[in-house]
Amino acid sequence: MDRSLIEATPADAGMHRRAFLERTAGGLGLIALNTLLNPKLLASPARGVVHPLHFPQKAKRVIFLYQAGGPSHLETFDYKPKLAEMDGKPMPESLTKGQQLAQLQGRPLICFGPQFPFRQWGSSGQQICELFPHMGSIADEVCIIRSMWTEQINHDPAHTLMNTGSIIAGRPSMGSWLLYGLGAETEDLPGFVVLVSTGRGGQNQPIAARQWSAGMLPSRFQGVKLNSIGDPVLYIRNPEGISRELQKDSVEAINSLNRTAHRTLQDPEILTRISQYEMAFRMQASVPGLMDMSKEPAQVLERYGAKPGDGSFASNCLLARRLAERGVRFIQLYHRDWDHHAGIRENMPLKAQEVDRPTAALIQDLKDRGMLNETLVVWGGEFGRTPMSQGGNGRDHHIKGFSFLLAGGGVKPGISYGATDDLGYAAVENPVSVHDFHATMLYLLGIDHKRLTVKHQGLDIRLTGVSGQVIHEILA
Amino acid sequence: MLAFLAVVAAISLPLEAVERTISFNRDIRPILSDTCFFCHGPDQNTRMANLRLDVREQALAKTRSGAIPIVPGKPEASAIIQRIFATDHRAMPPKYAQKELTPGQKEKFRKWVEEGAEYEPHWAYVPVQRPAVPPVADRRWIRNPIDAFIQARLARENLKPSPEADKRTLLRRVSLDLTGLPPSPQEMQAFLADSSPDAYEKVVDRLLASPRYAEKQAVHWLDAVRYADTCGFHGDNPYPAWPYRDYVLRAFRENKPFDLFTKEQLAGDLLPNASLESRIASAYNRLNRTSAEGGIQPKEYLAKYAADRVRTTSTVWLGTTIGCAECHDHKFDPLTMRDFYSMKAFFADIKETGLVPDRGPEAWGTQLELPDETQRRKRAELEIALQRARARLAEAAEKLAARRSGWERNLLARYQAGEFDWKPQRPQSAKSAQGATLTIYNDERIDSAYDFRGSIVPARKPGNGLVVATGKAPDNDTYTVVWKPGPGAWTAIGIEVVMDESLPGVRMARGADRFVLTGVELESGGAPVAFSLATANSLFPLPDLAPALVLDHDPNTGWGLAFHGEDRNPFLALRLAQRLHTTAETALTIRLRHDSEYRRATLGRFRFWMSQAEYSWPGSAINGASDPLAPHTGVPTNVVAALRKPAAERQPADQEAIENFFHWSQPELTEHQAEISRLEAQLGLLEASIPRVVVTEATEPAVTRILPRGNFMDDSGEIVEPAIPQIFGKLHVNGRASRLHLAEWLTSRENPLTARVFVNRLWKQFFGVGLSKVLDDLGSQGEWPVHAELLDWLAAEFMQPSSSQAHAWDVKHVVRTIVTSHTYRQSSLSNPALEAKDPENRLLARQSRYRVDAELVRDIALAVSGLLTEKFGGPSVRPPQPEGYLAALNFPKREWSASRGEDLYRRGLYTRWQRTFLHPSLAAFDAPSREECTVSRVLSNTPLQALVLLNDPVFVEAARALAQHALRDGGRRFATRLSWAFARVLNREPRPEERKVLEGLYRKSLSKFRRDPQAARQLLSLGEAPVPPGVNTMDLAAMTTVTRALLNLHETITRN
Repeated sequence: MDRSLIEATPADAGMHRRAFLERTAGGLGLIALNTLLNPKLLASPARGVVHPLHFPQKAKRVIFLYQAGGPSHLETFDYKPKLAEMDGKPMPESLTKGQQLAQLQGRPLICFGPQFPFRQWGSSGQQICELFPHMGSIADEVCIIRSMWTEQINHDPAHTLMNTGSIIAGRPSMGSWLLYGLGAETEDLPGFVVLVSTGRGGQNQPIAARQWSAGMLPSRFQGVKLNSIGDPVLYIRNPEGISRELQKDSVEAINSLNRTAHRTLQDPEILTRISQYEMAFRMQASVPGLMDMSKEPAQVLERYGAKPGDGSFASNCLLARRLAERGVRFIQLYHRDWDHHAGIRENMPLKAQEVDRPTAALIQDLKDRGMLNETLVVWGGEFGRTPMSQGGNGRDHHIKGFSFLLAGGGVKPGISYGATDDLGYAAVENPVSVHDFHATMLYLLGIDHKRLTVKHQGLDIRLTGVSGQVIHEILA
Repeated sequence: MLAFLAVVAAISLPLEAVERTISFNRDIRPILSDTCFFCHGPDQNTRMANLRLDVREQALAKTRSGAIPIVPGKPEASAIIQRIFATDHRAMPPKYAQKELTPGQKEKFRKWVEEGAEYEPHWAYVPVQRPAVPPVADRRWIRNPIDAFIQARLARENLKPSPEADKRTLLRRVSLDLTGLPPSPQEMQAFLADSSPDAYEKVVDRLLASPRYAEKQAVHWLDAVRYADTCGFHGDNPYPAWPYRDYVLRAFRENKPFDLFTKEQLAGDLLPNASLESRIASAYNRLNRTSAEGGIQPKEYLAKYAADRVRTTSTVWLGTTIGCAECHDHKFDPLTMRDFYSMKAFFADIKETGLVPDRGPEAWGTQLELPDETQRRKRAELEIALQRARARLAEAAEKLAARRSGWERNLLARYQAGEFDWKPQRPQSAKSAQGATLTIYNDERIDSAYDFRGSIVPARKPGNGLVVATGKAPDNDTYTVVWKPGPGAWTAIGIEVVMDESLPGVRMARGADRFVLTGVELESGGAPVAFSLATANSLFPLPDLAPALVLDHDPNTGWGLAFHGEDRNPFLALRLAQRLHTTAETALTIRLRHDSEYRRATLGRFRFWMSQAEYSWPGSAINGASDPLAPHTGVPTNVVAALRKPAAERQPADQEAIENFFHWSQPELTEHQAEISRLEAQLGLLEASIPRVVVTEATEPAVTRILPRGNFMDDSGEIVEPAIPQIFGKLHVNGRASRLHLAEWLTSRENPLTARVFVNRLWKQFFGVGLSKVLDDLGSQGEWPVHAELLDWLAAEFMQPSSSQAHAWDVKHVVRTIVTSHTYRQSSLSNPALEAKDPENRLLARQSRYRVDAELVRDIALAVSGLLTEKFGGPSVRPPQPEGYLAALNFPKREWSASRGEDLYRRGLYTRWQRTFLHPSLAAFDAPSREECTVSRVLSNTPLQALVLLNDPVFVEAARALAQHALRDGGRRFATRLSWAFARVLNREPRPEERKVLEGLYRKSLSKFRRDPQAARQLLSLGEAPVPPGVNTMDLAAMTTVTRALLNLHETITRN
């Protein structure tokens, strides 16, 4: 048995064992030299534990455009004319009494009207803030959830809840769950990739590696961060002085010696080691190819507003499409800098400049390539922002109501779902919890959130905890 | 999914088939717990049909519907048997529960009811009784009682133990297990040559006596107590914890009794006459993650910290998931919310705040200083010297008192007339000594982005004398800048550090988490110009980076900042010893030295200013970057504010500000000011060198309430007092029970869990899996131990050893007992029959093979290459890591700055444990982030691990150093060198086919390097360990590819 099974859960063990059998059936390890040069000779990539799928699969992959810091729903997707009327007046106490606030705790609560106009877009007539004309132009492709709510009011725990469904550190992130459940469709790249871009507004709250951790799942399910500075994947570059050819010779020698050991010991863990060296070597070739956008036509770069190598959200959106094309299961783009305690008026246009065009370009590009129907695109952050003013030109963290935008992957296009109250304070119509969102996402990928579990400390741990309802109304 | 469960069931069947009669604990409880308790167990809020199956009386009683769940001896009359065999809608468990019973499990249930449905108390909750050692007929393989337990079971399964492993394998195994390092070839030779019957035992004693043993044990303990070097939330800044790590090291080295070890950590501060050692140990209670984020509610975070302590303590000592009862009663074990909050109440006396400041005088709460004798003495001396210097200043100032009112009267007017303003200088040339590109922006426009009142402001403006460093970023550098100030009589030079978003090191430096300017030299027309006083304007000065250190001629010390947090740029004012007279043609040359041990703590953007005023305070223009042309005035802002107030309205602070500035400004006092700032800087350096550690300080206990659904805002819950979980009984204490009472109970014979939990974890170190597999849960959902009696025997032996050589709670005694057993010493080789019967090797008819832990992957490479620094304890170190790895961190923005010299080659356990971004090589090999308690690491096998071993410069450097030794000590031929390297890395001779493959690699490499000598030189230049002079570059490079292959072998990082 594979040694890593000892620590893995039974379900994982089963998966690993079968993946291993499938691969060995293809003769992996014996044809190493060929596979180093020609990955097509490999057996099909590893499957996940959910097999067969619980539901018909609508989406094969997810691109999560994670707007970190907490974007204001009131200046993006949640149109609140009543709040504009109430601007400068005290917030009705009936709404806020006994509620948790962050920096506004114990301060006077004054209504702060939307700072930018909204308009209706497309034939669906969805309300979107005018700061986002490109996203407005694809309003008929997207579903806006206006009734999200969460439980955690500070960035770090709120990120952790959004990503892992729990605030206790050490639970797998949603990308790890998907990889564990479904496996990957690539042998040359990690199945779960993370990119981080930094906004120009300076509200760049830190993001911990925990957000893409595999938690108690084996680390092969963790997200791999692609970097825009230095090596795109850590240690992907050969040491100086070692050519590609010499690296190949070295990997072959290592694997040859490992095979010798396997002949004596018959330890399958050695075969896994051999295959991981093969994959590492292939990644060394495929990652630079992935990152090299020089062959992308000028009009594509223009459409996204991407300058290859600048590490911007726009370039990352284009990379996301390339990752999707190559079979990566979960692609998560963090764009930081939405923590607008101050300077909403100055900073929202800046953020819109950074994300509006590339978000729309990605969705449109996926559609043009026939990939949108099998790719779930999600746009949103860890929480929203208060309808009350902070310091006259800012908004505090807010958990009672915020917005998410979804597109493709089996989601009904051109609709809005749920609503906050007239002042944009609390989700009152069809509230959607973080776990509801997770359940719906898993459903679209063919997984019953109640049945994708891992044993940990005696519990059947799920991404959705003990709650979570699939939002059937938004499914196409 | 179901298919896998079937696979697993099939695997476990052969083990179970043998046990003929049904045992509740072994056969029934695990199924009941996993399948039934969720709805019919301890949690009354989710209990369905009012049916409770975890208590026999209730399971036998008639329910509301009239059915009797269990009728002992009559399965056909028992409702639960009817329901689990039902196939219609009445079937249990119901479909929505997503649980299913296998036919085998159903049959076990039936049989159990038929046999009388006897319940047993949960095995782990019964006090430990030392079981009798079972008789074994064949005594050949019996070395101690462990073997008797194991082999008695093997005999029942018709299995035989494996023979002892060969001596090479055995020595390598026990060395890796006990010290984390492979044996040296000399140690191997000595062991092979020692034919005495106790040769192995002698080795075990040698290894147990080694400080390396303590380092290996510490790795596991530090995971459990979630020790790390950074606070984990938000800015994830470093906090002082390493002396606690050293306490753990000493405890294992000295084999501290585990009961004392427990008491010191949980309650070291409460022990009568608490020693320094036990107070350091009490840092245990402060190792939880803490937040310094501005928007947090203290109450919420205090609840998080306390829950973390309950989770950790109950996992580490009790192997119990009490943490589950924070929001509801436990689903599987008889633990209630009251139990959780009663445990929490033990810790309610710990003095702490919800927002734990990560900088400034209040940073990190209660700390203990640990000065040594020299530091103590030197501090006292410096304090006296400082006192005297201040007295001298006061005395000298007294003489100038008459001058004061006149000075003060004119000051504001002179300030408003711009008399103290600094004049910007326009450099003509700027050069880096180490190849960085320095560009001058005088009238040229430059893009900048700076933080102003919480927002980043982009700008494109003329530089006004700005110098910008780009391109290569050397670890250390000296910038030489030349300008002509024009005719004048100058009194001071100002250096403005210009903050910019583009700079990764706290927005000021080109790397690191600070800038450090270690020296400034000025020349006028080739003649040196002396400074008399250095002053800076920061509100957050660091005592060991004081301005005076620029002038102390020590290349290791300097002025710097690790956090600025102001809207204005840092500004260093250097007063000239004498007025400097210049003409239109006079050129000034200034050299800025960056010789700090912190790599890349070099300035990124800076500007020079000069003053002709009698004195000028460091420039205080609000954000010089926002308008580079704004004047820098030379009077402190608080002095200006004070002067603007009518005398009657001035506060004592205003008076003090004016007074201090008066002293600072008077030329007669400069000498005294300089002496004071020099002494303060010396004291600052000394203070910073004194180790500190967060510790527990007891205070009035906070009220602890049960928080309904775990909601910290809900104060309606009942108040609870400290108490152990009810199922374990009650503490007999007068008054409020303390942490010390908890610790005493944890290590008392009344507590059934601590010893079992700890020896079970120890067992995993030596066999790869615990006797009960789920190390963090010995409760209902855990695993019935494969060798339950052995676990109890070991637990008993731990608490009360049978040997007179050992003491109670003797960790080394248990370790020695395990590793000297035959069971441990067996060969790991398997065979198809054994594989079929026991694929997971739970019965232990053989040893196991598994990868070593993350730290050890590094340690092995460093040890065999001769690079390893064998230094025991000390501050955590920073091995190199890829650039930009910390880029997603903020508050402050920072880069990792690799340590120097021997600290580059310390064991993995000494690596600075950055919780949110653990060192990537450690993380790749499954080291936990230590944000939460971890008692069992996952072991995975990934392509990223291959990339680390192949390409991480540390491993390449180790391969090169290893190759150097092979060339030096391995004879003149490749064959003998290869033998040498194999003996060093794998403790064995290469096999013929291995020789062939590696010789092939060597030849190919050699011919490639001969064709491309530059590549060979590049390969050898990696890392900082020197290449010996006179070595043949081609040979060494080619041999390096061979040793690199060796360090990458599965066998190298596997313990067999």
